Amino acid sequence: MRKAVPYILLLPVMLLTLIFIGGIVNVIIQSLGIIPSLGLYKPTLSYYQEVLSRPDFLSSIAFSLYISFVSSLLAAILGVLVCALLVGNGLAKGKIMQITKIPIVIPHTVVALLIINIFSQSGLLPRLLYALGLISAQESFPSLLFAPNGIGIILAYLWKEIPFVVFFVISIMANISTTLGEAAQNLGASPGQSFRYVILPLCMPAVKNAFLIIFAFSLGAYELPFLLGATAPKALPVQAFIEYTHSDLLHRPYAMALNSIMFFISLIIVVFYYRLLQGNLKKIER
Amino acid sequence: MKRTMHIDRLGIISKILLIGFIFSILSSLVVIVVWSLAGRWAWPHLLPENFSLRGMQELFGGYSGAMETLFFSIGLSLVVALLAVIIGTMTARALVFYDFYGKRVIDLSTFLPIIIPGTVFAMGINVIFIEMGLSDSVAGVIVAHLICSLPYAIKIMTDITQAFGRKLEEQAAVLGASFRQTMAFITLPSLLPGLIASGCMAYIVSFSQYFLTLIIGGGTVMTFSVKMVPYLQSGDRTLASAYSLVFVCSTLLVFIIFEKTIKKFYRDESRYYFA
Repeated sequence: MRKAVPYILLLPVMLLTLIFIGGIVNVIIQSLGIIPSLGLYKPTLSYYQEVLSRPDFLSSIAFSLYISFVSSLLAAILGVLVCALLVGNGLAKGKIMQITKIPIVIPHTVVALLIINIFSQSGLLPRLLYALGLISAQESFPSLLFAPNGIGIILAYLWKEIPFVVFFVISIMANISTTLGEAAQNLGASPGQSFRYVILPLCMPAVKNAFLIIFAFSLGAYELPFLLGATAPKALPVQAFIEYTHSDLLHRPYAMALNSIMFFISLIIVVFYYRLLQGNLKKIER
Repeated sequence: MKRTMHIDRLGIISKILLIGFIFSILSSLVVIVVWSLAGRWAWPHLLPENFSLRGMQELFGGYSGAMETLFFSIGLSLVVALLAVIIGTMTARALVFYDFYGKRVIDLSTFLPIIIPGTVFAMGINVIFIEMGLSDSVAGVIVAHLICSLPYAIKIMTDITQAFGRKLEEQAAVLGASFRQTMAFITLPSLLPGLIASGCMAYIVSFSQYFLTLIIGGGTVMTFSVKMVPYLQSGDRTLASAYSLVFVCSTLLVFIIFEKTIKKFYRDESRYYFA
Protein backbone atom coordinates (compact mmCIF):
# COMPACT_ATOMS: atom_id res chain seq x y z
CA MET A 1 0.00 0.00 0.00
CA ARG A 2 2.70 2.45 1.03
CA LYS A 3 4.55 1.72 -2.17
CA ALA A 4 1.57 2.95 -4.15
CA VAL A 5 1.39 6.33 -2.37
CA PRO A 6 3.88 8.22 -4.56
CA TYR A 7 2.26 6.89 -7.72
CA ILE A 8 -1.17 8.00 -6.54
CA LEU A 9 0.24 11.46 -5.77
CA LEU A 10 1.85 11.55 -9.20
CA LEU A 11 -1.19 10.34 -11.13
CA PRO A 12 -2.44 13.77 -12.31
CA VAL A 13 0.98 15.06 -13.30
CA MET A 14 1.76 11.85 -15.19
CA LEU A 15 -1.52 12.12 -17.05
CA LEU A 16 -0.75 15.72 -18.08
CA THR A 17 2.81 14.81 -19.03
CA LEU A 18 1.45 12.04 -21.24
CA ILE A 19 -0.78 14.55 -23.03
CA PHE A 20 2.23 16.83 -23.43
CA ILE A 21 4.41 14.07 -24.83
CA GLY A 22 1.53 12.97 -27.05
CA GLY A 23 1.48 16.46 -28.56
CA ILE A 24 5.20 16.35 -29.28
CA VAL A 25 5.08 12.83 -30.75
CA ASN A 26 2.22 13.96 -32.95
CA VAL A 27 4.36 16.82 -34.28
CA ILE A 28 7.16 14.42 -35.18
CA ILE A 29 4.83 11.88 -36.83
CA GLN A 30 3.18 14.56 -38.95
CA SER A 31 6.55 16.07 -39.86
CA LEU A 32 7.43 12.68 -41.39
CA GLY A 33 4.42 13.08 -43.63
CA ILE A 34 2.08 10.66 -41.87
CA ILE A 35 -1.36 12.27 -41.65
CA PRO A 36 -4.04 9.61 -42.25
CA SER A 37 -6.88 12.15 -42.32
CA LEU A 38 -5.24 13.81 -45.33
CA GLY A 39 -4.50 10.49 -46.98
CA LEU A 40 -0.78 10.60 -46.22
CA TYR A 41 0.53 7.30 -44.91
CA LYS A 42 4.09 6.85 -46.16
CA PRO A 43 6.87 8.08 -43.87
CA THR A 44 9.33 10.33 -45.65
CA LEU A 45 12.09 12.77 -44.86
CA SER A 46 11.31 14.87 -47.91
CA TYR A 47 9.64 17.63 -45.88
CA TYR A 48 12.77 18.08 -43.81
CA GLN A 49 14.88 18.04 -46.98
CA GLU A 50 12.69 20.70 -48.51
CA VAL A 51 12.59 22.83 -45.36
CA LEU A 52 16.36 22.65 -45.08
CA SER A 53 16.90 23.68 -48.69
CA ARG A 54 14.36 26.48 -49.11
CA PRO A 55 15.98 29.91 -48.53
CA ASP A 56 12.97 31.44 -46.72
CA PHE A 57 12.80 28.55 -44.25
CA LEU A 58 16.56 28.61 -43.72
CA SER A 59 16.52 32.33 -43.05
CA SER A 60 13.70 31.73 -40.54
CA ILE A 61 15.85 29.23 -38.66
CA ALA A 62 18.86 31.55 -38.75
CA PHE A 63 16.78 34.55 -37.68
CA SER A 64 15.27 32.71 -34.70
CA LEU A 65 18.65 31.43 -33.54
CA TYR A 66 20.10 34.93 -33.89
CA ILE A 67 17.27 36.60 -31.93
CA SER A 68 17.35 34.04 -29.12
CA PHE A 69 21.09 33.87 -28.84
CA VAL A 70 21.73 37.62 -28.84
CA SER A 71 18.85 38.46 -26.49
CA SER A 72 19.62 35.63 -24.05
CA LEU A 73 23.34 36.30 -23.95
CA LEU A 74 22.83 40.04 -23.38
CA ALA A 75 20.14 39.32 -20.79
CA ALA A 76 22.47 36.95 -18.92
CA ILE A 77 25.37 39.44 -18.93
CA LEU A 78 23.27 42.47 -18.00
CA GLY A 79 21.28 40.43 -15.49
CA VAL A 80 24.46 39.40 -13.69
CA LEU A 81 25.63 43.03 -13.76
CA VAL A 82 22.38 44.25 -12.20
CA CYS A 83 22.59 41.44 -9.63
CA ALA A 84 26.12 42.49 -8.70
CA LEU A 85 25.02 46.12 -8.40
CA LEU A 86 22.05 45.19 -6.21
CA VAL A 87 24.11 42.92 -3.96
CA GLY A 88 26.97 45.43 -3.83
CA ASN A 89 24.62 48.16 -2.67
CA GLY A 90 22.90 45.90 -0.15
CA LEU A 91 19.60 45.93 -2.06
CA ALA A 92 19.09 42.21 -2.59
CA LYS A 93 15.86 42.42 -0.61
CA GLY A 94 13.20 45.09 -0.25
CA LYS A 95 11.46 47.63 -2.49
CA ILE A 96 13.96 47.68 -5.35
CA MET A 97 13.69 43.92 -5.65
CA GLN A 98 9.90 44.25 -5.79
CA ILE A 99 10.23 46.63 -8.75
CA THR A 100 12.61 44.20 -10.44
CA LYS A 101 9.94 41.52 -10.25
CA ILE A 102 7.33 43.62 -12.13
CA PRO A 103 8.41 42.62 -15.68
CA ILE A 104 8.01 38.96 -14.76
CA VAL A 105 4.23 39.41 -14.45
CA ILE A 106 3.87 41.53 -17.61
CA PRO A 107 2.94 39.36 -20.61
CA HIS A 108 4.99 39.48 -23.80
CA THR A 109 2.09 40.98 -25.73
CA VAL A 110 2.08 44.02 -23.43
CA VAL A 111 5.88 44.23 -23.55
CA ALA A 112 5.56 44.59 -27.33
CA LEU A 113 3.37 47.64 -26.77
CA LEU A 114 5.83 49.13 -24.26
CA ILE A 115 8.59 48.84 -26.84
CA ILE A 116 6.41 50.32 -29.61
CA ASN A 117 5.47 53.26 -27.35
CA ILE A 118 9.11 54.12 -26.79
CA PHE A 119 11.22 52.91 -29.72
CA SER A 120 9.00 53.26 -32.80
CA GLN A 121 9.66 56.22 -35.08
CA SER A 122 6.78 58.09 -33.46
CA GLY A 123 7.72 56.81 -30.00
CA LEU A 124 8.86 58.75 -27.00
CA LEU A 125 12.59 58.24 -27.51
CA PRO A 126 12.75 59.87 -30.96
CA ARG A 127 10.49 62.67 -29.64
CA LEU A 128 12.91 63.25 -26.80
CA LEU A 129 15.91 63.25 -29.14
CA TYR A 130 14.06 65.67 -31.43
CA ALA A 131 13.27 68.00 -28.54
CA LEU A 132 16.93 67.94 -27.56
CA GLY A 133 17.89 68.77 -31.14
CA LEU A 134 19.78 65.50 -31.61
CA ILE A 135 17.75 64.42 -34.62
CA SER A 136 16.19 66.71 -37.19
CA ALA A 137 13.16 64.69 -38.24
CA GLN A 138 11.11 61.63 -37.39
CA GLU A 139 12.68 59.71 -40.24
CA SER A 140 16.24 60.26 -39.06
CA PHE A 141 15.57 57.93 -36.13
CA PRO A 142 16.55 54.42 -37.28
CA SER A 143 13.65 52.02 -37.67
CA LEU A 144 14.28 49.47 -34.96
CA LEU A 145 10.90 47.78 -35.03
CA PHE A 146 9.50 45.58 -37.80
CA ALA A 147 13.02 45.57 -39.24
CA PRO A 148 15.01 42.56 -40.51
CA ASN A 149 17.68 43.26 -37.87
CA GLY A 150 15.21 42.22 -35.17
CA ILE A 151 16.36 44.90 -32.73
CA GLY A 152 12.83 45.60 -31.52
CA ILE A 153 12.30 41.94 -30.65
CA ILE A 154 15.67 41.79 -28.87
CA LEU A 155 14.89 44.95 -26.86
CA ALA A 156 11.54 43.51 -25.83
CA TYR A 157 13.12 40.24 -24.73
CA LEU A 158 15.77 42.14 -22.77
CA TRP A 159 13.11 44.15 -20.91
CA LYS A 160 11.48 40.91 -19.86
CA GLU A 161 14.50 38.65 -19.38
CA ILE A 162 17.06 40.78 -17.54
CA PRO A 163 14.75 40.87 -14.50
CA PHE A 164 14.20 37.12 -14.90
CA VAL A 165 17.95 36.49 -14.72
CA VAL A 166 18.19 38.81 -11.70
CA PHE A 167 15.33 36.97 -10.01
CA PHE A 168 16.97 33.63 -10.79
CA VAL A 169 20.48 34.50 -9.62
CA ILE A 170 20.15 37.12 -6.89
CA SER A 171 19.43 34.96 -3.85
CA ILE A 172 22.38 32.68 -4.50
CA MET A 173 24.67 35.64 -5.25
CA ALA A 174 23.60 37.49 -2.10
CA ASN A 175 24.25 34.34 -0.14
CA ILE A 176 27.72 33.72 -1.54
CA SER A 177 28.61 37.40 -1.25
CA THR A 178 27.92 37.58 2.49
CA THR A 179 29.78 34.34 3.22
CA LEU A 180 32.61 33.47 0.84
CA GLY A 181 32.84 36.91 -0.77
CA GLU A 182 33.50 38.60 2.53
CA ALA A 183 35.90 35.88 3.55
CA ALA A 184 37.90 36.56 0.38
CA GLN A 185 37.95 40.28 1.17
CA ASN A 186 39.11 39.60 4.71
CA LEU A 187 41.99 37.67 3.18
CA GLY A 188 42.94 40.78 1.20
CA ALA A 189 41.03 40.50 -2.07
CA SER A 190 39.62 43.69 -3.53
CA PRO A 191 35.83 43.79 -4.10
CA GLY A 192 36.53 43.34 -7.80
CA GLN A 193 38.79 40.33 -7.25
CA SER A 194 36.35 38.76 -4.84
CA PHE A 195 33.60 39.14 -7.45
CA ARG A 196 35.73 37.92 -10.35
CA TYR A 197 37.35 34.91 -8.70
CA VAL A 198 34.94 33.85 -5.96
CA ILE A 199 31.37 35.08 -6.39
CA LEU A 200 30.97 34.89 -10.18
CA PRO A 201 32.34 31.33 -10.65
CA LEU A 202 30.07 30.05 -7.89
CA CYS A 203 27.03 31.76 -9.45
CA MET A 204 27.80 30.47 -12.96
CA PRO A 205 25.65 27.31 -12.75
CA ALA A 206 22.60 29.44 -11.88
CA VAL A 207 23.44 31.91 -14.66
CA LYS A 208 23.88 29.12 -17.22
CA ASN A 209 20.62 27.64 -16.05
CA ALA A 210 18.79 30.94 -16.53
CA PHE A 211 20.43 31.36 -19.95
CA LEU A 212 19.22 27.95 -21.14
CA ILE A 213 15.68 28.64 -19.98
CA ILE A 214 15.38 32.03 -21.68
CA PHE A 215 17.18 30.79 -24.80
CA ALA A 216 14.76 27.90 -25.20
CA PHE A 217 11.79 30.12 -24.45
CA SER A 218 12.67 32.90 -26.88
CA LEU A 219 13.47 30.39 -29.61
CA GLY A 220 9.96 29.00 -29.54
CA ALA A 221 7.84 31.97 -28.52
CA TYR A 222 5.34 33.33 -31.03
CA GLU A 223 4.11 36.61 -29.52
CA LEU A 224 7.05 39.02 -29.84
CA PRO A 225 8.26 38.13 -33.35
CA PHE A 226 4.61 38.17 -34.43
CA LEU A 227 3.98 41.65 -33.01
CA LEU A 228 7.38 43.27 -33.59
CA GLY A 229 8.94 41.29 -36.45
CA ALA A 230 9.51 42.17 -40.09
CA THR A 231 7.64 40.59 -43.01
CA ALA A 232 10.89 38.83 -43.88
CA PRO A 233 12.68 37.04 -42.41
CA LYS A 234 10.01 35.58 -40.16
CA ALA A 235 10.86 33.82 -36.92
CA LEU A 236 10.45 30.03 -36.84
CA PRO A 237 7.25 29.94 -34.74
CA VAL A 238 5.61 32.59 -36.95
CA GLN A 239 6.60 30.78 -40.14
CA ALA A 240 5.43 27.46 -38.69
CA PHE A 241 2.04 28.93 -37.78
CA ILE A 242 1.61 30.37 -41.28
CA GLU A 243 2.18 26.90 -42.75
CA TYR A 244 -0.09 25.39 -40.11
CA THR A 245 -3.01 27.65 -40.99
CA HIS A 246 -2.35 27.48 -44.75
CA SER A 247 -5.57 26.96 -46.71
CA ASP A 248 -3.91 24.02 -48.47
CA LEU A 249 -3.89 21.39 -45.74
CA LEU A 250 -1.00 19.60 -47.44
CA HIS A 251 1.23 22.35 -46.02
CA ARG A 252 0.70 20.86 -42.55
CA PRO A 253 3.84 18.61 -42.72
CA TYR A 254 6.01 21.68 -43.44
CA ALA A 255 4.66 23.35 -40.31
CA MET A 256 5.41 20.22 -38.33
CA ALA A 257 8.91 19.88 -39.80
CA LEU A 258 9.66 23.44 -38.68
CA ASN A 259 8.20 22.61 -35.27
CA SER A 260 10.34 19.48 -35.09
CA ILE A 261 13.45 21.50 -35.80
CA MET A 262 12.54 23.80 -32.89
CA PHE A 263 11.91 20.72 -30.79
CA PHE A 264 15.27 19.13 -31.59
CA ILE A 265 17.12 22.35 -30.79
CA SER A 266 15.31 22.52 -27.46
CA LEU A 267 16.13 18.86 -26.87
CA ILE A 268 19.82 19.73 -27.14
CA ILE A 269 19.18 22.42 -24.55
CA VAL A 270 17.49 19.85 -22.27
CA VAL A 271 20.60 17.68 -22.49
CA PHE A 272 22.79 20.63 -21.53
CA TYR A 273 20.40 21.48 -18.74
CA TYR A 274 20.42 17.95 -17.42
CA ARG A 275 24.22 17.76 -17.47
CA LEU A 276 24.38 21.06 -15.65
CA LEU A 277 22.00 19.69 -13.04
CA GLN A 278 24.08 16.52 -12.65
CA GLY A 279 27.26 18.58 -12.34
CA ASN A 280 25.71 20.59 -9.53
CA LEU A 281 24.65 17.45 -7.70
CA LYS A 282 28.18 16.05 -7.93
CA LYS A 283 29.64 19.27 -6.55
CA ILE A 284 27.25 19.16 -3.61
CA GLU A 285 27.99 15.49 -2.96
CA ARG A 286 31.70 16.23 -2.91
CA MET B 1 43.47 57.47 -0.21
CA LYS B 2 43.60 56.78 -3.89
CA ARG B 3 41.77 53.52 -3.35
CA THR B 4 38.84 55.09 -1.47
CA MET B 5 38.40 57.62 -4.26
CA HIS B 6 38.35 54.79 -6.78
CA ILE B 7 35.72 52.98 -4.75
CA ASP B 8 33.66 56.17 -4.42
CA ARG B 9 33.62 56.65 -8.15
CA LEU B 10 32.68 53.00 -8.65
CA GLY B 11 29.89 53.47 -6.12
CA ILE B 12 28.49 56.44 -8.01
CA ILE B 13 28.65 54.67 -11.36
CA SER B 14 26.95 51.62 -9.90
CA LYS B 15 24.17 53.79 -8.44
CA ILE B 16 23.64 55.52 -11.77
CA LEU B 17 23.42 52.17 -13.57
CA LEU B 18 20.95 50.86 -11.01
CA ILE B 19 18.78 53.95 -11.29
CA GLY B 20 18.87 53.52 -15.08
CA PHE B 21 17.70 49.92 -14.72
CA ILE B 22 14.85 50.79 -12.36
CA PHE B 23 13.93 53.79 -14.53
CA SER B 24 13.69 51.64 -17.66
CA ILE B 25 11.19 49.38 -15.91
CA LEU B 26 9.03 52.08 -14.32
CA SER B 27 9.09 54.64 -17.13
CA SER B 28 7.71 52.23 -19.71
CA LEU B 29 4.81 51.46 -17.37
CA VAL B 30 4.13 55.15 -16.74
CA VAL B 31 4.04 55.70 -20.50
CA ILE B 32 1.24 53.11 -20.74
CA VAL B 33 -0.79 54.93 -18.10
CA VAL B 34 -0.38 58.25 -19.91
CA TRP B 35 -1.16 56.76 -23.33
CA SER B 36 -4.32 55.07 -22.02
CA LEU B 37 -5.69 58.50 -21.09
CA ALA B 38 -4.34 60.40 -24.08
CA GLY B 39 -6.62 62.01 -26.64
CA ARG B 40 -4.44 63.55 -29.31
CA TRP B 41 -0.71 62.95 -28.98
CA ALA B 42 0.97 63.57 -32.31
CA TRP B 43 4.66 63.86 -33.20
CA PRO B 44 6.72 65.64 -31.85
CA HIS B 45 4.86 66.47 -28.61
CA LEU B 46 6.40 65.08 -25.45
CA LEU B 47 3.08 65.18 -23.60
CA PRO B 48 -0.44 64.51 -24.91
CA GLU B 49 -2.11 67.55 -26.45
CA ASN B 50 -5.36 66.62 -24.74
CA PHE B 51 -6.73 63.85 -22.57
CA SER B 52 -9.72 61.64 -23.24
CA LEU B 53 -11.63 58.86 -21.58
CA ARG B 54 -12.13 57.07 -24.88
CA GLY B 55 -9.92 54.17 -23.85
CA MET B 56 -11.59 53.73 -20.49
CA GLN B 57 -15.06 53.97 -22.04
CA GLU B 58 -14.19 51.23 -24.48
CA LEU B 59 -13.22 48.99 -21.58
CA PHE B 60 -15.76 49.94 -18.93
CA GLY B 61 -18.56 51.35 -21.13
CA GLY B 62 -20.25 47.98 -21.47
CA TYR B 63 -20.56 47.94 -25.25
CA SER B 64 -17.29 46.19 -26.12
CA GLY B 65 -17.79 43.16 -23.88
CA ALA B 66 -14.32 43.74 -22.45
CA MET B 67 -15.45 43.36 -18.84
CA GLU B 68 -17.29 40.08 -19.47
CA THR B 69 -14.17 38.74 -21.15
CA LEU B 70 -12.03 39.97 -18.27
CA PHE B 71 -14.16 38.26 -15.62
CA PHE B 72 -14.40 35.05 -17.61
CA SER B 73 -10.64 35.12 -18.10
CA ILE B 74 -9.96 35.71 -14.40
CA GLY B 75 -12.27 32.81 -13.53
CA LEU B 76 -10.57 30.49 -16.00
CA SER B 77 -7.09 31.36 -14.73
CA LEU B 78 -8.20 30.95 -11.11
CA VAL B 79 -9.34 27.42 -11.92
CA VAL B 80 -5.99 26.71 -13.58
CA ALA B 81 -4.14 28.19 -10.58
CA LEU B 82 -6.15 26.12 -8.09
CA LEU B 83 -5.56 22.90 -10.02
CA ALA B 84 -1.87 23.72 -10.46
CA VAL B 85 -1.44 24.32 -6.72
CA ILE B 86 -3.16 21.05 -5.81
CA ILE B 87 -1.31 18.94 -8.39
CA GLY B 88 1.95 20.81 -7.68
CA THR B 89 1.68 20.05 -3.96
CA MET B 90 0.93 16.38 -4.60
CA THR B 91 3.81 16.04 -7.04
CA ALA B 92 6.21 17.83 -4.70
CA ARG B 93 5.33 15.47 -1.82
CA ALA B 94 5.90 12.43 -3.99
CA LEU B 95 9.24 13.74 -5.27
CA VAL B 96 10.54 14.92 -1.90
CA PHE B 97 9.33 12.28 0.55
CA TYR B 98 9.37 9.04 -1.45
CA ASP B 99 11.85 6.94 -3.31
CA PHE B 100 10.30 5.06 -6.17
CA TYR B 101 11.01 3.56 -9.54
CA GLY B 102 11.27 6.15 -12.31
CA LYS B 103 11.74 9.12 -9.99
CA ARG B 104 14.50 10.71 -12.08
CA VAL B 105 12.49 10.45 -15.30
CA ILE B 106 9.45 12.05 -13.72
CA ASP B 107 11.57 14.73 -12.09
CA LEU B 108 13.01 15.71 -15.46
CA SER B 109 9.78 15.34 -17.43
CA THR B 110 7.89 17.74 -15.15
CA PHE B 111 10.35 20.38 -16.33
CA LEU B 112 9.95 19.75 -20.08
CA PRO B 113 7.11 22.24 -20.75
CA ILE B 114 9.43 25.09 -19.72
CA ILE B 115 12.17 24.15 -22.17
CA ILE B 116 10.20 22.76 -25.10
CA PRO B 117 8.63 25.62 -27.06
CA GLY B 118 4.97 26.36 -26.44
CA THR B 119 4.30 26.75 -30.16
CA VAL B 120 5.48 23.19 -30.86
CA PHE B 121 3.29 21.83 -28.08
CA ALA B 122 0.29 23.95 -29.11
CA MET B 123 0.23 22.83 -32.74
CA GLY B 124 0.93 19.22 -31.81
CA ILE B 125 -1.69 18.99 -29.11
CA ASN B 126 -4.41 20.71 -31.10
CA VAL B 127 -4.92 17.75 -33.43
CA ILE B 128 -5.12 15.36 -30.47
CA PHE B 129 -7.58 17.67 -28.72
CA ILE B 130 -9.77 17.77 -31.82
CA GLU B 131 -9.99 13.97 -31.67
CA MET B 132 -10.69 14.02 -27.92
CA GLY B 133 -13.36 16.69 -28.37
CA LEU B 134 -11.41 19.11 -26.21
CA SER B 135 -10.65 21.56 -29.00
CA ASP B 136 -12.54 24.87 -28.96
CA SER B 137 -13.67 24.10 -25.41
CA VAL B 138 -13.02 25.72 -22.05
CA ALA B 139 -11.91 22.36 -20.65
CA GLY B 140 -9.30 21.99 -23.38
CA VAL B 141 -7.92 25.46 -22.73
CA ILE B 142 -7.74 24.71 -18.99
CA VAL B 143 -5.82 21.46 -19.59
CA ALA B 144 -3.40 23.19 -21.97
CA HIS B 145 -2.82 26.11 -19.58
CA LEU B 146 -2.36 23.66 -16.73
CA ILE B 147 0.42 21.84 -18.59
CA CYS B 148 2.25 25.15 -19.12
CA SER B 149 1.92 26.43 -15.58
CA LEU B 150 2.54 23.20 -13.67
CA PRO B 151 6.36 23.18 -13.97
CA TYR B 152 6.51 26.47 -12.04
CA ALA B 153 4.08 25.30 -9.37
CA ILE B 154 5.97 22.02 -8.96
CA LYS B 155 9.32 23.80 -8.68
CA ILE B 156 8.09 26.22 -6.02
CA MET B 157 6.26 23.52 -4.05
CA THR B 158 9.23 21.13 -4.22
CA ASP B 159 11.55 23.80 -2.81
CA ILE B 160 9.28 24.65 0.10
CA THR B 161 8.35 21.03 0.84
CA GLN B 162 12.04 20.19 0.96
CA ALA B 163 12.82 23.15 3.20
CA PHE B 164 10.02 22.35 5.62
CA GLY B 165 10.55 18.59 5.80
CA ARG B 166 8.09 16.35 7.54
CA LYS B 167 9.25 16.41 11.18
CA LEU B 168 6.33 18.52 12.44
CA GLU B 169 3.85 16.33 10.61
CA GLU B 170 5.31 13.23 12.22
CA GLN B 171 5.18 14.87 15.62
CA ALA B 172 1.52 15.75 15.14
CA ALA B 173 0.81 12.17 14.14
CA VAL B 174 2.66 10.86 17.21
CA LEU B 175 0.58 13.18 19.38
CA GLY B 176 -2.55 11.58 17.96
CA ALA B 177 -3.63 14.00 15.25
CA SER B 178 -5.67 12.51 12.44
CA PHE B 179 -4.59 12.85 8.80
CA ARG B 180 -7.11 15.63 8.26
CA GLN B 181 -6.02 17.53 11.37
CA THR B 182 -2.35 17.27 10.39
CA MET B 183 -3.18 18.52 6.91
CA ALA B 184 -5.28 21.45 8.11
CA PHE B 185 -3.18 22.62 11.05
CA ILE B 186 0.39 21.63 10.19
CA THR B 187 0.99 20.92 6.52
CA LEU B 188 -1.08 23.58 4.79
CA PRO B 189 -0.16 26.52 7.08
CA SER B 190 3.53 25.71 6.80
CA LEU B 191 3.34 25.46 3.02
CA LEU B 192 1.28 28.67 2.78
CA PRO B 193 3.96 30.96 1.28
CA GLY B 194 4.63 28.34 -1.39
CA LEU B 195 0.93 27.83 -2.05
CA ILE B 196 0.46 31.56 -2.60
CA ALA B 197 3.59 31.89 -4.75
CA SER B 198 2.82 28.90 -6.94
CA GLY B 199 -0.83 29.96 -7.25
CA CYS B 200 0.20 33.44 -8.39
CA MET B 201 2.75 32.04 -10.83
CA ALA B 202 0.29 29.56 -12.33
CA TYR B 203 -2.33 32.30 -12.56
CA ILE B 204 -0.05 34.68 -14.44
CA VAL B 205 1.18 31.98 -16.83
CA SER B 206 -2.42 31.07 -17.65
CA PHE B 207 -3.69 34.65 -17.81
CA SER B 208 -0.89 35.67 -20.22
CA GLN B 209 -1.27 32.80 -22.70
CA TYR B 210 -2.06 34.18 -26.12
CA PHE B 211 -0.89 31.72 -28.75
CA LEU B 212 -1.91 28.56 -26.92
CA THR B 213 -5.37 29.91 -26.12
CA LEU B 214 -5.82 31.08 -29.70
CA ILE B 215 -5.01 27.64 -31.12
CA ILE B 216 -6.79 25.43 -28.58
CA GLY B 217 -9.68 27.83 -28.01
CA GLY B 218 -10.02 28.36 -31.75
CA GLY B 219 -11.54 31.81 -31.20
CA THR B 220 -14.50 30.25 -29.37
CA VAL B 221 -12.86 30.55 -25.96
CA MET B 222 -12.17 34.26 -25.72
CA THR B 223 -9.76 35.27 -22.96
CA PHE B 224 -8.62 38.80 -22.20
CA SER B 225 -5.19 38.06 -23.67
CA VAL B 226 -6.71 36.95 -26.96
CA LYS B 227 -9.13 39.88 -27.07
CA MET B 228 -6.34 42.36 -26.37
CA VAL B 229 -3.90 41.47 -29.16
CA PRO B 230 -5.85 42.89 -32.14
CA TYR B 231 -5.83 46.25 -30.33
CA LEU B 232 -2.06 45.98 -29.84
CA GLN B 233 -1.71 45.40 -33.58
CA SER B 234 -4.17 48.08 -34.64
CA GLY B 235 -1.89 51.06 -34.01
CA ASP B 236 -4.54 52.74 -31.83
CA ARG B 237 -2.23 53.25 -28.89
CA THR B 238 -4.86 54.72 -26.59
CA LEU B 239 -6.99 51.58 -26.78
CA ALA B 240 -3.97 49.27 -26.76
CA SER B 241 -2.59 50.96 -23.65
CA ALA B 242 -5.98 50.96 -21.93
CA TYR B 243 -6.30 47.21 -22.47
CA SER B 244 -2.75 46.62 -21.26
CA LEU B 245 -3.29 48.77 -18.19
CA VAL B 246 -6.44 46.88 -17.22
CA PHE B 247 -4.60 43.60 -17.84
CA VAL B 248 -1.77 44.50 -15.47
CA CYS B 249 -3.95 46.13 -12.80
CA SER B 250 -6.43 43.25 -12.73
CA THR B 251 -3.54 40.81 -12.22
CA LEU B 252 -2.14 42.79 -9.31
CA LEU B 253 -5.61 43.12 -7.80
CA VAL B 254 -6.21 39.37 -8.03
CA PHE B 255 -2.82 38.71 -6.39
CA ILE B 256 -3.58 41.06 -3.50
CA ILE B 257 -7.05 39.62 -2.92
CA PHE B 258 -5.66 36.11 -3.24
CA GLU B 259 -2.97 36.67 -0.62
CA LYS B 260 -5.23 38.60 1.78
CA THR B 261 -8.03 36.01 1.73
CA ILE B 262 -5.76 33.04 2.27
CA LYS B 263 -3.87 34.74 5.09
CA LYS B 264 -7.08 35.94 6.75
CA PHE B 265 -8.63 32.51 6.43
CA TYR B 266 -5.66 30.97 8.18
CA ARG B 267 -5.45 33.60 10.88
CA ASP B 268 -9.11 33.09 11.78
CA GLU B 269 -8.79 29.33 11.68
CA SER B 270 -5.67 29.11 13.75
CA ARG B 271 -6.57 31.73 16.34
CA TYR B 272 -8.12 29.17 18.66
CA TYR B 273 -5.25 26.76 18.37
CA PHE B 274 -2.12 28.86 18.48
CA ALA B 275 -3.23 31.78 20.66
